Amino acid sequence: MDSITLIRDFLKDRLGVEAEKIVPEAALADLGVDSLMMLELMFEFEDHFGIKLSPDLKPPQTVGEMTAQMDQLVSQQKG
Amino acid sequence: MQRRVAITGLGLVSPFGGDLADFFSRLMAGESAIRHLLTDDLPRPLSIPFVSCPAFDPEATLGKPLASMMDRFAQLGMAAAFAAWDDCGLPRAAADGSARDGWGVAWGTALGGTLAYEKGYRELWQKGRERLSPLAVILGMNNAANAHISIQLGLGGVSMSHTVACASSAIAIGEAFRRVRSGEATIMVTGGSDVPQAYGVARAWEALRVMAPGDAETSPFACRPFAGNRRGLVLGEGGAALVLEDWDHAVARGARIHGEIVGYGTSCDHTHLVRPEAAGQIRALNATLADAGLTADDIDHINAHGTATAEGDPVEVAALKAVFGKRAAHLPVSATKSMHGHLLGAAGAIEAIATVLALREQAVPPTANLGGQVDPACLGVDHVIEGRHKLSLRAALSNSFAFGGSNAVLAFRAVS
Repeated sequence: MDSITLIRDFLKDRLGVEAEKIVPEAALADLGVDSLMMLELMFEFEDHFGIKLSPDLKPPQTVGEMTAQMDQLVSQQKG
Repeated sequence: MQRRVAITGLGLVSPFGGDLADFFSRLMAGESAIRHLLTDDLPRPLSIPFVSCPAFDPEATLGKPLASMMDRFAQLGMAAAFAAWDDCGLPRAAADGSARDGWGVAWGTALGGTLAYEKGYRELWQKGRERLSPLAVILGMNNAANAHISIQLGLGGVSMSHTVACASSAIAIGEAFRRVRSGEATIMVTGGSDVPQAYGVARAWEALRVMAPGDAETSPFACRPFAGNRRGLVLGEGGAALVLEDWDHAVARGARIHGEIVGYGTSCDHTHLVRPEAAGQIRALNATLADAGLTADDIDHINAHGTATAEGDPVEVAALKAVFGKRAAHLPVSATKSMHGHLLGAAGAIEAIATVLALREQAVPPTANLGGQVDPACLGVDHVIEGRHKLSLRAALSNSFAFGGSNAVLAFRAVS
């Protein structure tokens, strides 16, 4: 599973957001991701990709920022 | 100056699956919602009589985003509160949010989010995981239900939870009543919710040896308060809510008034954690009558605590006989737990609703499974064997007596 699919599956399951709305330029807040949901989403990434996110990690604002950030961390930690 | 307090909203997640009218009509008919619970996904199968809310669909009722942020106890509580709020006739969203700054919530739960905690413990202990979901704390916390209710209805006053075992929601209702009566709040949403089917919780209750046995055939009749052949209590999940409102405020906006809450008294046995004492219950009953400005002669019905335990039922009858004297023999007493089960933190609330509906409908539901076999130790009050209609009920009490020795009694008056 890639990053965008994980986000789509998560938001569909938790918030009922349709997949076509989850595009790179979409703001996560507009999709219903508040600070708690962001923690859950990050937790999903840690769980699924086996990576560790630093507590200092700056929360991404858009879907595209999140996929880029996560892909980079996966590459650094697992590559 | 003390204000009168109207009950303008009633709401519950009915174990029968229907609305309030359906709930009360089934109680009047002596119908049991108790079924056999047999699990197959646990370390060892759980096989107990139980009351669940199988028709309750949290996502359909609350919407997926809200439901996903809640443990089931908060989902049941939120659904009941929405139902009560809709019943009171006010919009869920305030046109002017500031109008609700002093309105609040007082909620009862004996257990809180035990399903969420148990799920987390399984992750840690069984699966050996290092971490829990970031939502674990907010799903499990005991004040989750009242917090969600305050947020969803925009209530900016007090938001508090009461954890007093089986008296949790009776005490929540009483404390909410006092806030409105004193003028501190114009409206309070109150009630309770609980979900005792977490594996560890159910096993803990089994260990106390107070749970009635039952299988698929016998479970509907497993809870037999005051009966000579009673075998213990039956647990259940549920949520029940009331909207308490300043009387003049309710009248001014033309609200439907289901009944009036007029008194609340509490006490502690201060003797034993689980063995009830009549003296403590008598203090709570007398405190409630005094608080309401009523005498024993003014009371026409009792919704008993009546759990069907060996020790509890005779003590409650002894307390009623002490307070009501000769009148006790003519005082209709109903233990509706025989039909909707013991909802722990929601028990006081669902029984308060049953009591208010009895006064409103001028009809008293029965204690199910009691025909012709009252325990001699429980004689001395007018046990209601079959539902009674077309009565002249003026006021009624609802008893809630908890492990820990905490007692709470609520007094309600019919609207003439």
